[in-house]
Amino acid sequence: VTEFVQDLLLGLLLGGVYALAASGLTLIFGVMRVINLAHGAFLILASFLAYSLWKWVGLDPLIAILLTTPVVFGLGWLTYKLFVRPIRTAPMASTVLLTFGLAMVLEAAMGTVWGNESTAIRPSYADESFTLGSLFLPKSQVFGGLVAVVVLLALGFVLTKTWLGRAIRAAAINPAGAELVGIRVASVAALVFGLGIAAAGAGGAIVGVMYPFLPGSHYAWIARLLAIVVLGGMGSLSGAIIGALMFGIAETMASAYISPAWATAVPYLIVFLVLLVRPQGLLGSRLRQDAVAV
Amino acid sequence: MARSTIIRRLQAVSVTGFLALGLAACGGGDSGSGSDSKEPITIGASLPLTGEFSQPGTAAQQGYQLWADMVNKNGGLLGRDVKLVVKDDASNQNTVVSDYNALISQDKVDLLLGTFSSLLNLPASAVAERNQMVYVEPAGGSPEMFSRGFKYLFFAQQATADKQGKVFAEWLTKLPEDQRPKTAAYPVLDDPFAAPTANGIKKILEAAGIKTVYEQTYAIDTKNFDTIVNGMKGANPDIVVNGAQSEDGIGMLRAMLKANFHPKWLYQTNAPTLGQQYADAVGVENTEGVVFGISHAPEADTPGNKEFVQAYDDKFGGSPPEDAADAYAAGEVLQAAVEAVGSVDDQEKLANWIRDNKVDTILGTLDWNDDGSPNGEFLVGQWQDGKVQFILPESVATTDHIVMGWKPGGGS
Repeated sequence: VTEFVQDLLLGLLLGGVYALAASGLTLIFGVMRVINLAHGAFLILASFLAYSLWKWVGLDPLIAILLTTPVVFGLGWLTYKLFVRPIRTAPMASTVLLTFGLAMVLEAAMGTVWGNESTAIRPSYADESFTLGSLFLPKSQVFGGLVAVVVLLALGFVLTKTWLGRAIRAAAINPAGAELVGIRVASVAALVFGLGIAAAGAGGAIVGVMYPFLPGSHYAWIARLLAIVVLGGMGSLSGAIIGALMFGIAETMASAYISPAWATAVPYLIVFLVLLVRPQGLLGSRLRQDAVAV
Repeated sequence: MARSTIIRRLQAVSVTGFLALGLAACGGGDSGSGSDSKEPITIGASLPLTGEFSQPGTAAQQGYQLWADMVNKNGGLLGRDVKLVVKDDASNQNTVVSDYNALISQDKVDLLLGTFSSLLNLPASAVAERNQMVYVEPAGGSPEMFSRGFKYLFFAQQATADKQGKVFAEWLTKLPEDQRPKTAAYPVLDDPFAAPTANGIKKILEAAGIKTVYEQTYAIDTKNFDTIVNGMKGANPDIVVNGAQSEDGIGMLRAMLKANFHPKWLYQTNAPTLGQQYADAVGVENTEGVVFGISHAPEADTPGNKEFVQAYDDKFGGSPPEDAADAYAAGEVLQAAVEAVGSVDDQEKLANWIRDNKVDTILGTLDWNDDGSPNGEFLVGQWQDGKVQFILPESVATTDHIVMGWKPGGGS
């Protein structure tokens, strides 16, 4: 029983960080219908930024989030203005190809700046754990989970309680209608893209503490994040959170009770099964489909 | 292969394949077939410069480059300059195949050198074999490589993967009863190199009565090792033999620290050979006593080794990673064959020469079985006081002191 509880806790903590990383991806898709394949690369970029701040200034990566997030937000905003906007009305395949290309460019750029080397951020608590009886909770995962909760709550607050959030949702549901009531959909889109990337930026600093990374690590991340977003229902923030927690738990449980060899396969199997029953994902937004119908 | 791996590969293939086609199209035509004696000899290789194996891939590129520089500085190969044509296969099995096809049919290179890791060398060497071109690989020690009856494939290290841990495992079994481990755990990466290495050790330890209490394989995109470590902790082994590549070995060790799981011995493949990167990533104080197999020692008194280490430091700074040394040695093997045969045109002659002869390299003297696998012995390394020492075999050891077990935190 102890082992089961231990694995469950590890799965939940893992899921929390997945949620943080996936939230931006689903936000960008929900509002803009852009599948951002460079999301993982931005995540790793944030890891490298946090690494540099930690290595050269001695800044704790969790505090570094306050710096990396705005920087990555700016990069996201710029990326939108320079690359995504010109092809916004093009078929979805074009944005997929564009963002995949971006991911490769980012990977090469990171390799040039930081080198193709395994990198790890190791603040004093990196390899320590809280112990709870015979259970252990890795500190980095706990802090990561907490930051994920804070960032997700903030994101939720912005989306539901602020004018910007209402504008974003309006632009998502009915762009033409939003324009009519005075929302500049193009500016909102740039902000959303920046916000989505910024969430990856916050996640990147955490991920860098939890796991070693190198420029090529983004492939493993984007594959997971896409699966999580599809599982939760593309465009749904709460869906992504539930999907991420399920994914994290499935991964640890499969590793513990089937075999680690299946740990990365079983979650995809679950995605597959869920989609058979609910093709729109767990909380796939019907509103989106209505909007498309209009 | 795990579903996730397939999905990821499919994603990567679609675009990298497209790019490779583009590169191949651009690359054609700038190099001749090499019959004019003033033309440089072109040597093609595809390396994982990006993606999961970018770390060894980049090191291998450095090794090839240093070798080519050395050859050119000394008057070239058969009096002709050596020109390297290196493509990036993005750590992808499909791309590496199209790369080697393009090197042969479009770039029309005179000679080939291998890529990195058994995973990529398996398909790449098949392309070379089909085109009857000598393929000296700097990595790719999976026994699977040499069971295919290939005639042009040669592995430029001392031993295949299944024998990598042999020297250490046999040493362990000869320890006095009270110091010998009683139980062992084998968390192993699903990889054609890492898995046979761990298996080779397991066979020797089991034969000596050291019981296997945990054995699991994990996929290459595993990020989270906490659950695996939790399982091992429950089995409480005296020794953990981790068949790893790079990032996963680091992740495994860190997860062991987090779980406060400190087995008496820790053996890892590959990751500990990354030198400073490994120490930085796991914390230098946690490396104390970690044991690993390695092919190259910067301190070794092998032919040309001092010059290689110096040249590496001059060009790239620091001590050369093992992977750079292996690539350099692969170049040396090819060079020896070409110089002995006196031409690059008859690939069969080159292959026969390598099969029948010994070659002095910076890894020591290498020689081969009929199937292209080498028949020497790996060195055993151990992290001691934040530095890599070579502890076995005694003839090449850099110290006679062996730290008896893994001591994370540097003390106890």
